[in-house]
Amino acid sequence: MKLIHYTIGKLSVVMIVILTVWAGIFYLNIFDEVWDETDDSLENFKTLIIRQFMRDTTSLNLGDKDLMSQYRIRQISEEEAVRYRERYFDSTRFYETELDFDPIRVLKTAFRGPNNHYYELTVQISTMEQDDMLQAMLMWIVILYASLLICLIIVSQIVFRKSWRPFYHLMDWLREFTLGGDTPPLDNPTKVKEFQTLNETIAQMTRRSEKMYNQQRQFIENASHELQTPLAVCQNKLEFLAENTPCNEEQLQEIGQLHDTLRRAIQLNKSLLLLSRIENGQFHETHDIDMNRLVRETAEDFNEIYEHKEIKTHIKEEDQCAAQMNDMLAHILVSNLVKNAMTHTPPGGEVTIDIKRNEILFSNTSDNPPLDPDRVFTRFYQSDYRRKDSTGLGLAIVKSIANFYRFNVEYFHDGRHNFRISL
Amino acid sequence: MKILIIEDEKSLREVMARSLEKERFVVEEAGDYASALQKINDYDYDCVLLDIMLPGGSGLSILEELKRARKRESVIIISAKDSIEDKVTGLDLGADDYLAKPFHLAELNARVKSVIRRKQADGDMHISIGNLSVFPDRHEASIDGKELKLNRKEFDLLYYFVINPDRLINKTALAESVWGDRIDQADSLDFIYSQVKNLRKKMKTAGATPEIKAVYGFGYKLVSEPEP
Repeated sequence: MKLIHYTIGKLSVVMIVILTVWAGIFYLNIFDEVWDETDDSLENFKTLIIRQFMRDTTSLNLGDKDLMSQYRIRQISEEEAVRYRERYFDSTRFYETELDFDPIRVLKTAFRGPNNHYYELTVQISTMEQDDMLQAMLMWIVILYASLLICLIIVSQIVFRKSWRPFYHLMDWLREFTLGGDTPPLDNPTKVKEFQTLNETIAQMTRRSEKMYNQQRQFIENASHELQTPLAVCQNKLEFLAENTPCNEEQLQEIGQLHDTLRRAIQLNKSLLLLSRIENGQFHETHDIDMNRLVRETAEDFNEIYEHKEIKTHIKEEDQCAAQMNDMLAHILVSNLVKNAMTHTPPGGEVTIDIKRNEILFSNTSDNPPLDPDRVFTRFYQSDYRRKDSTGLGLAIVKSIANFYRFNVEYFHDGRHNFRISL
Repeated sequence: MKILIIEDEKSLREVMARSLEKERFVVEEAGDYASALQKINDYDYDCVLLDIMLPGGSGLSILEELKRARKRESVIIISAKDSIEDKVTGLDLGADDYLAKPFHLAELNARVKSVIRRKQADGDMHISIGNLSVFPDRHEASIDGKELKLNRKEFDLLYYFVINPDRLINKTALAESVWGDRIDQADSLDFIYSQVKNLRKKMKTAGATPEIKAVYGFGYKLVSEPEP
């Protein structure tokens, strides 16, 4: 739910309550006023009639009818007159023209005539119909409510759009923002104090995260660099030791194992360095890479290496595939994927590489259960079938190269293990 | 043959020096920018191994200095920064080769020999050990003048052995010399094993006097004059 809809929703509920209460009070007040006026006119009328009657009892046409008001004079006995109480009341009268009963207001009173006779005077006046009035009022209140609502929506749209513009701008900017990405700095001028504070806070926060992120990236790169020399010393000393010290076979074997372990550390360090280099965007130079050729050559190399596994490799070149990327990264990308496929294929298995115009699909047979597609590209992903001598970084490197060039790389399992890279 | 090693890490410098001395090179060492510059100005070397990050200055300015003085030294840059930019800058400035740390001693040896060979070779160079001759530029080898038929990988292996004669070469160094270091060691070792086996068989059949010996668990060694 958008903020503006929420606000309008709340306002319209409040408006209904206010208008309802207001309509009730308005109705009561108006009717009170109308009755008051009606009763006043009846009173006036009465005075006029009685005064006329006093002057000349015959001058009045008893029971005279006019359109709006009527009166009637009836002679009553003295006892009746003494007990008589003047009263106003509502009644109805049938109009032939409308074939309907219309509401009237009636005044009944008694007075003593000039001839000392007592009379009862009934004055009645036609009043407005309450039902009609009520209906009309209701209708107009609904119209008022609707038009107020429309105005409210229009006004709030305009006001919202204007006054919340910095907020929405900020939101868009945040959505675009990625750590280590090339998001332009926040440019969101506003006179509103709250938004200014928000801008400042967010700019500060992102700057801080960016700084920390860069430091961390730099740290991995520096650490890997610093490790190179000690690793080189260890490796070369071991080699020198093996070559120049009279060792028996058992000792040599121990040194060999030590050397192998050290090689793993070196490999791991190199992979980490490569990863942070890719993420730091240090591979600028790009060329047109003929992916078909690259895949063919890489597969050929790996076929030689894995000759003993007797893997059947099929390369289906459905189309020419070219990519704009760094030479070295292209090689690493393809060889990591080919290597991954080959190492996880059991002896006698099958690797298929399907090259289309904008995608390359590497698939291999394997009895291993499907991998977790969300985690397979994370660093040091521990699948149950990970080889003990793997760095656990090969696919992470693939992913980070893909991210760097905005390629899409995904894993899925359909009986075979598939890695698809979409350029 | 005189070699100057410019490297600030003392233990690395020493082990490099001792390894190269075994190949009968005369080795001198410099541990910082100033002493390196002084040595270069005072003496002539056949090959300079140059670390880029030095206390007191950049190895690249030493390289520039060398080229300005029109010295004929071959230069191999040795750097912990295995970055393309450094490599390109170094080679553009006139370095002959680039070796990233950490490296194998056998690899260092091979690189040094090959830059020196390139500088000296005006015509057809070959390396001979016993009755085995290897022609690196033509990718050919012969035994007693008769051509030894080898595939590309077998030749690469043989060349690596020949340039490191009588040295114990670690099997991963061999694998990396053939495949580059991007290939995991464990995967390529089976391949190295079978390729070396084939190579030994071919050499034996052709009656070569040098012999490739396996050192179990560590690697191989080309013995130039095996005891009978």
